Amino acid sequence: MLENWAHLWDQLPLIVRIVASILVITVPLLIGMAMLTYFERKVMAAMQLRQGPALVGPWGLLQAFADGLKLLSKEVIIPAGANRVVFLAAPMLTFLLALVAWAVIPFGEGLVLADINVGVLYLFAISSLGVYGIIMAGWASNSKYAFLGGLRAAAQMVSYEVSIGLVIITVLLCVGSLNLSKIVEAQKSIWFFIPLFPMFIIFFISALAETNRAPFDLPEGESELSGGFNVEYSSMAFALFFLGEYINMILMSGMTSILFLGGWLPPLDIAPLNWIPGPLWFILKICFCLFCFIWVRATLPRYRYDQLMRLGWKVFLPFSLIWVVLTAGVLVYFDLLPK
Amino acid sequence: MALLDRTARGLFLVELVKGMALTFSYMFRPRATINYPYERGPTSPRFRGEHALRRYPNGEERCIACKLCEAICPALAITIEAEPREDGSRRTTRYDIDMTKCIYCGLCQEACPVDAIVEGPNLEFATETREELFYNKEKLLANGDRWEALIAANLAADAPYR
Amino acid sequence: MPKLTIDGIEVEVAPGTSVLQACEQLGIEVPRFCYHERLSVPANCRMCLVEVERSPKPVASCAMPAGEGMVVKTNTDTVHKARKGVMEFLLINHPLDCPICDQGGECDLQDQAVSYGYDRGRYEENKRAVKDKYMGPLIRTYMTRCIQCTRCIRFVDEIAGVPALGGLARGEHLEITPALEVGVNSEMSGNLVDVCPVGALTSKPYAFNARPWELRKTESIDVMDAVGSNIRVDARGGEVLRVLPRLHEDVNEEWISDKTRYAIDGLKRQRLDRPYVRGTDGKLKPATWAEAFAAIKTRLANVPGSKIAGIAGDLVDVESVVALKDLLTKLGSANLDCRQDGAQFDTSNRAGYIFNTGIAGIENADVVLLIGTNPRWEAPLVNARIRKTYLTGKLKKVAVVGQNFDLTYPTEFLGNSGSVLSALADGSHPFVETLKAAKNPLIILGAGALRRGDGLAVQAASRAIAENVGAVREDWNGFNVLHLAAGRVGALDAGFLPGPGGRDLAGILAGAQSGEIEAVYLLGADEIDGAKLGKAFVVYQGHHGDRGAHRADVILPGAAYTEKNATYVNTEGRVQHARFATFPLGEAREDWKILRALSTELGQALPYDTLAQLRQRLVQVNPVFATLDRLVPSVWGPFGQAGTIADAHFASPIENFYMTDPISRASQTMAQCTEAFLKPALPAAAAE
Repeated sequence: MLENWAHLWDQLPLIVRIVASILVITVPLLIGMAMLTYFERKVMAAMQLRQGPALVGPWGLLQAFADGLKLLSKEVIIPAGANRVVFLAAPMLTFLLALVAWAVIPFGEGLVLADINVGVLYLFAISSLGVYGIIMAGWASNSKYAFLGGLRAAAQMVSYEVSIGLVIITVLLCVGSLNLSKIVEAQKSIWFFIPLFPMFIIFFISALAETNRAPFDLPEGESELSGGFNVEYSSMAFALFFLGEYINMILMSGMTSILFLGGWLPPLDIAPLNWIPGPLWFILKICFCLFCFIWVRATLPRYRYDQLMRLGWKVFLPFSLIWVVLTAGVLVYFDLLPK
Repeated sequence: MALLDRTARGLFLVELVKGMALTFSYMFRPRATINYPYERGPTSPRFRGEHALRRYPNGEERCIACKLCEAICPALAITIEAEPREDGSRRTTRYDIDMTKCIYCGLCQEACPVDAIVEGPNLEFATETREELFYNKEKLLANGDRWEALIAANLAADAPYR
Repeated sequence: MPKLTIDGIEVEVAPGTSVLQACEQLGIEVPRFCYHERLSVPANCRMCLVEVERSPKPVASCAMPAGEGMVVKTNTDTVHKARKGVMEFLLINHPLDCPICDQGGECDLQDQAVSYGYDRGRYEENKRAVKDKYMGPLIRTYMTRCIQCTRCIRFVDEIAGVPALGGLARGEHLEITPALEVGVNSEMSGNLVDVCPVGALTSKPYAFNARPWELRKTESIDVMDAVGSNIRVDARGGEVLRVLPRLHEDVNEEWISDKTRYAIDGLKRQRLDRPYVRGTDGKLKPATWAEAFAAIKTRLANVPGSKIAGIAGDLVDVESVVALKDLLTKLGSANLDCRQDGAQFDTSNRAGYIFNTGIAGIENADVVLLIGTNPRWEAPLVNARIRKTYLTGKLKKVAVVGQNFDLTYPTEFLGNSGSVLSALADGSHPFVETLKAAKNPLIILGAGALRRGDGLAVQAASRAIAENVGAVREDWNGFNVLHLAAGRVGALDAGFLPGPGGRDLAGILAGAQSGEIEAVYLLGADEIDGAKLGKAFVVYQGHHGDRGAHRADVILPGAAYTEKNATYVNTEGRVQHARFATFPLGEAREDWKILRALSTELGQALPYDTLAQLRQRLVQVNPVFATLDRLVPSVWGPFGQAGTIADAHFASPIENFYMTDPISRASQTMAQCTEAFLKPALPAAAAE
């Protein structure tokens, strides 16, 4: 039966197969993103002893869709002084880059759209490009708040990418491949977050900064920039930024799972645990990371900008550099380098 | 030793972990809020909500156009015009409250000598347009008719304390 | 000069001063209800109790004359206890209906209950209830509220001179009752509302309209007669709600006439709120200011100045009169007249047309001669002043030449025909001896007497009488002209009269009939028969759609007296300023501004842009306009023109006291008064 289906699948034209695969990834992703906003509000509410959304749908589950509909039905306002083309291109770019990264994410053994050998490099490149959407938005809005927000975002993302890069290097040293599936498979014996625990923490914190999440949400900075780079955006344009940001959160959670939490692998390869399919493990791990994102937001106040820069350059950079050297040294000394 | 202690705390993010633990523990505490439209907190008989003009049990409106509420209103939200009715009694021809100006201080109901203008228990009177919040006499009297039972009960409950 | 001590302060007062008045001289407030400084003292409310040393009981200070060496205490526990007791008794029968009482907020009882009232009553029986009485269309009664101070009875008896009210029964059961259920038929009945310390008598047209605290109060001048009563205009929003008297000892004391007080509802009816232009079909059509001005400009384009005329009406202010005069002079016209009633008199000497003695001066007169005037209707406050003087006993005799009216004091009727006046003038009438014997003889010449064709001769004859009987001396000028119109003396002072070679009213009307006058500018002139204006092009500027507006070809809407800052000169020649209380209706504008705008349109721009500049121009025209609220004695000189006085009867210039001008004619209240007070009397008047 299953073989029949697989046979049929192989007979479909390549383009159809590709489009179908993309849809299989993006549609659940978008739904997941919607649920993430609901999840975030519910978790935050719980931590703040509130109710959270409870009116739209059962337990308020449809709240995110209601919000989406509301945003869709609103008017797109383009400020008089804005650069129309760049202004409208910015949210599209952000959303597009957030989705494109998912091409190389392995959801299970062999379940990946493009199993390329430079997967990590690709991800790194794409997530770095994400800053352009924000800078364009900040500049094209022709507004002080948006401009400041864009500047902050650029500086912040550049700063934290450096340490992210070094963290990834330590992982690569341990794996010996840039292929994401290979990285997951390398963790069969032990998940990297155990040997590389400090790196795991640095990576997670840098991921917060990379996605502009609290306590690093200075580009938005509601209290001082009244919304930052997206202050002039409304309706669908705003919704695209919003979608992009949350999909980036999921992406960074996915990267954390792949690099440190063993991707689709079960914690222990024993009876009840390995009955659960790999993709489900992967999703569970993503969910855990997302919970941490929200948990941090509910706990910590926003950094001051100089503190943020100090943390990136004076703490994370030297620390991760030392760890790269240390890891490399240990690997070489004990001859543990992957062949 | 102290240096070591401080370094260790910094390095192992002790404060951060403590804080995260605290927020996590809050997740399992009972909610402080209620599911508002379906659950409601108790309201005091003195609750100052939407205004209403009351009537006597025989249907005669209470308001006698003395304009004390208009005079005391600190937000200048009340406008009254009056003239003798056909039967010669003193009645308003216009009783407007601008609910967008009103600050719900309750001075009008304190000033009223005949308990005509009251702030009722209703707090759900949001409207879609601003104009709907300019209440006129008809609207206020209709409010009074609608909420009379509750208003009367609240006044009775509060009476011993005045 | 008794010397007494009040609250430890020594004070010396004139003999006959009461303790209460002595306290007032020191600024010590003594509460009172029945005492009123212009009325007699009944001492029946007992609120003014004070403690006097060596007196066993508290004393009613209003009725206790100050005596030498008295020691008075007004602030002791005994006094407070006594007053509180009185207050409690007053409140036994006074209903607690302040919220529905129109007096609420300005009620003596309410105010004094704050200092002397208990916060709860001990009286548990039923309160007294009294049936309301009918007091005419002006006064609303609520007799249950009456505290029996009897101020109203004393007012109608003493000031108004119409004994229409009285008290029935005694003690608690005393009821104030009109003698007949026909209302208080007095021109000053409205003052009862002010006199009443509680809400028993309130204003009927103002019933339930407003509270005193909502009203914007403007101190102004009345224009309903030529007395120039000082008034306070109470307005809310754009509506004048009531008029109250303002104290001015030399003009109206603290009273005003009913017309002054109640004609204000005429300010809301029949108003001109936009310009109108008469179309080709002969109908007036609403227009814009530009269209109205354009219509005037087109019509006047080829009209020489000598064919243009201007007539000023009764309610015009000096500013607009001067502006119109300047404009017409620039246009080359000398055809001006402010005497729209057709009166003829010599205006060369100011003493010849004003009330030289002054209204307060009446109190020094001992014999009064009234010529062709009915002061009770023409100037109720002048009449009240004569009555006041009569009541003091100083005024020995009042003689009347003209129609014989009930003037509220005894008069000697000398006759109604012109020959009587001639006889008085040549000294052959026996009354001349009485006048000569008098110390301060006073002659009041009514405006009605000057309206006859022989006005100049009447004026001259009156002057002759005054000079013959010694009414004109260094220290006394007993020659007086009593005008009817508030704007008249001002216009005369401004010289709104035929210039050299100009036509007077009769000339203008004749010219209009014959076509020699092509355009007439009516500045609030409403007493002219439209038919007499022939085919002339008529511009009417004013505030009411009255006679003038009906005949007009272009109507320019102006402001009524409550709507502009304006100067008026009363019959005494007293210059006073009326003040802006509400905005003019609709597109109407202040009158002088209309004229200023029109002058630019006609290419003859007037040289003033602000009221201050215009007032400077006023002073240029006549320095008297700079003497605000002051009487400038006029230099006596020859005026008038001796001639034969027709034997015709002197007719009253006013047929209906309640309707003399566009405002009062538009007033519903005044119509009700006419219905209530004059209709019953009319058949009698017609028979005469």
